[in-house]
Amino acid sequence: MTPPAIARAIVAISAPPSDFESVCGDLHEEYVRILALEGRPRADAWYWSQAIRSVPSLLSYSRVPRSLSALVLTVALVLVAIVAMLCVNELVDDTIAGAYRASHGTAWIFFIVGPLVAASFGALIAALRRSYGMRLVLFSASGLLAFIAVPILFQWSSRLSAATWILIVAASASMCIGGALYHLAARRRLKD
Amino acid sequence: MAKGAYLGEFEHVVLLSILRLGDGAHGAKIRAEIESVTGRSTSIGAVHATLERLERKALITSWMGEPTAERGGKAKRHFKIEAAGIDALKEARATLERLHAGVSLMAFVR
Repeated sequence: MTPPAIARAIVAISAPPSDFESVCGDLHEEYVRILALEGRPRADAWYWSQAIRSVPSLLSYSRVPRSLSALVLTVALVLVAIVAMLCVNELVDDTIAGAYRASHGTAWIFFIVGPLVAASFGALIAALRRSYGMRLVLFSASGLLAFIAVPILFQWSSRLSAATWILIVAASASMCIGGALYHLAARRRLKD
Repeated sequence: MAKGAYLGEFEHVVLLSILRLGDGAHGAKIRAEIESVTGRSTSIGAVHATLERLERKALITSWMGEPTAERGGKAKRHFKIEAAGIDALKEARATLERLHAGVSLMAFVR
């Protein structure tokens, strides 16, 4: 009698932490009612539709009072995350990776280190700005992708190798996973 | 009235729904009430975002209830309309009535 897991995750990521309980509870309450009246396919379809249509509204607010220092800290964290990932990216295409590749035949270690650094940043951002939920981590990861992809798309900078693209996408995904893991751990601690 | 104190159309609808529901007003009930009375399909996210805005304007207040099994172990956030909310509804109604006064909609029927 549980709603679709992916749709639930979409709501959990989008909702401000302060409203997570009430939003998920409200959806669950209506889901159970529709399930009893119209069956599982209709109830699942309803839940999916609510989850997707709710995302823009849920992303648009936070119950936390806005302050200048919070905004400055947020911007600084996002910039640090982007610069750090760019450094890792440079290492892959540049001399260190080249030298490592020459001596060991592969630069696989950077494909582990890069996403790990990104995951740590995701968790750090989530921990420091937890009142914003996963949204800040998602914005940071998107910012990282856009910051690198836009100049390349408009041919302002040289094209990257396929391996570097894989690293960038893996790093963005890892940033989100790092943030999500922090949130899961934090919620479990709250429940205990 | 200050600019931020005016009610948006959906804020108006949500405030009236809370008033209609009385003590039982919470997100799911408010969403269902809007859908059944207006026939307008509404997302729970839009309802919660509007409730947060109304609370920031001090037109309503909220408090968390106890978790229940029928809600998958999640708690309810209850909402109550404040005196300022009633005043805002009266003002919105009076404004609409002033605008409607002397206008015949029948003249525009095609």
